[in-house]
Amino acid sequence: MEQPDLIRSARFRKEREEDWARLEKLVAKAESQGLHRMSFDEARDLAALYREGTTSLAIAREISLDKALLHYLEALTARAYLSVYAPQESVHGVFSRFLRRGAPQAMRRSWLFIALGFLCMGLGALAGYLLYFDDPAWYYVMMPPELAGGRGPDASTSYLRSVIYDEDPDASGLGAFATFLFSHNTRIAIFVFGLGVFLCAPAIALTFYNGLIFGSFIALHVDRGLGWDIAGWLSIHGVTELSAICIACGGGLQLGAAILFPGQLSRIESLRQAGRDAAKLAIVAAVMLVAAALLEGFGRQLIQDMNTRLAIGWGIGLLWLLWFALGGRARS
Amino acid sequence: MKWRRREKKKPALYNRDELMPPEGVPLHLEVAGVGARMAAQITDILITGIGAIAIIILLAMINLTSPQTLGAVGMMLFFIIRIPYYVLTELAWNGQTLGKKLMKIKVVSHDGLSLSAHSLVVRNLMKEAEIFLPGTLVLTLDAASPISSLIAFAWIIGTLLVPILNKRRQRLGDMIAGTYVIHLPMPVLLKDLAQSVPQPQLKKGKFNFLSHQLDHYGAFELQTLEDLLRAQENRTSAQMNAHQNATIESVIEKIRRKISYADPVSAPDRVAFLRAFYNAQRAHLEQKQLFGERRKNKFHAEQGDEK
Repeated sequence: MEQPDLIRSARFRKEREEDWARLEKLVAKAESQGLHRMSFDEARDLAALYREGTTSLAIAREISLDKALLHYLEALTARAYLSVYAPQESVHGVFSRFLRRGAPQAMRRSWLFIALGFLCMGLGALAGYLLYFDDPAWYYVMMPPELAGGRGPDASTSYLRSVIYDEDPDASGLGAFATFLFSHNTRIAIFVFGLGVFLCAPAIALTFYNGLIFGSFIALHVDRGLGWDIAGWLSIHGVTELSAICIACGGGLQLGAAILFPGQLSRIESLRQAGRDAAKLAIVAAVMLVAAALLEGFGRQLIQDMNTRLAIGWGIGLLWLLWFALGGRARS
Repeated sequence: MKWRRREKKKPALYNRDELMPPEGVPLHLEVAGVGARMAAQITDILITGIGAIAIIILLAMINLTSPQTLGAVGMMLFFIIRIPYYVLTELAWNGQTLGKKLMKIKVVSHDGLSLSAHSLVVRNLMKEAEIFLPGTLVLTLDAASPISSLIAFAWIIGTLLVPILNKRRQRLGDMIAGTYVIHLPMPVLLKDLAQSVPQPQLKKGKFNFLSHQLDHYGAFELQTLEDLLRAQENRTSAQMNAHQNATIESVIEKIRRKISYADPVSAPDRVAFLRAFYNAQRAHLEQKQLFGERRKNKFHAEQGDEK
């Protein structure tokens, strides 16, 4: 059909309409099948036609007043943009990159905050320990009763021993695992990370308080001459678990510090940058908590010997440390 | 209350946001509302919840777990399924979970680059703190602890207010991750009105418009006329037809008076007249635009004087 008297924008559309239709088809294919399953020609055409589409849109905005055309080009270009700039990473790649480089490097970069986390916990434990020997009544102040499970200054030494060396391990491993994961310490870890945003203070207070509980609990057992036994009982999962809380605290502190001291950046931008490492710390803490839950659920029931408990607990702690210290270093 | 006032202020029906891709041609994308996102979120919770329940039933059937711990194991499974679910689906399907696919919404990165694994992890980890933690708090509420109920409610209201109060409807997680959620635009190419000439009775040169007659209107009026003509093209019922005819007649009268077009337009020629006028007006305005004079609407002359 010959239409020589078409207006300029209609001619513009007529010349390019075929390419747009092809782009539309390629975009639909990319969205339904994924870019990696397209042939080389199709992928190349998609990229080329997308750039052509953006040019068409830019020109159409200048020369055309056809609303339908402008809407169409806008939507088409947006869809093409979204499929051209789709994340190119495979799930497997993301995992291995995180384990090999991301996590250990983030841990090393934020060592100061993690050290602060450990410091809060350590000071809390020291204070709890000393307070208990000052006056055992402090134990009731610091320890929530549902966490103590009947273990207090009133309990007999033999009862304390029976809890440490479980004579009849009847609880199912999976059940113990699950109850642990929603236990006190996991909640503490989530809170210290999340509350770090509120200017650090709640995260520090909560970690310190957790240390207090921990310290007075140890003091109780040391007082009864069960020091090494409780160390074994706590170590098998506690080394991993308490470190996880300290790391979560470190992540929270990093977020809080980003808001308190943004430097030259705006606060939201500084938060965004601190979030890069803090999120990695949170994931590391989560992985460690799951590992601790497995140790608590299965390991503590199966292994009743004190020395083995100590060895496993600190051995695994050492493995974590090796991962953080050595992972992701450039080979020279 | 607050958002209603905000809606009134805006003349535009949709909340659009500008995104700048690396190609440097800005795209205007419609920001997804809180309602659509909540619907997608509920769908996702149902999907992951059903997955957890299925595994629970399986565990109960093969007696792997005692009934006392079933509740705790269920919570754990829901937790373990949902955390990777959001990150992995959004990574694999370019910012869409199953719920988002159903609602046709999508996560995009506000800097115009592709979504990174980091930003997806951040926005979904914050979801734990923003949605699931207060959610479980509410579920485990009892009347005995009014303080924790108050905290839970304040928390939920706070997290709901954040996306309502900012323009891009970002959650806190979105803000830290630098993402927001859009409606997927649907490309539909309609026929070009200036190109398709279905009326056989439209002979060339039947309606001629002079340049000064085309100086009255701007782009807004042209595009309103475009909408009218498109609606006229795909009208269906007879009742609609009569109504449409009355509209078209009054529109023609208004245009004739405004541009002082002397000849009367007979009833069968009405649509042809409007099409001819549309073509001529569009050609005229596009010509002006090419030479740098954008006429937004019919007040272009007065605005020009003010300057």
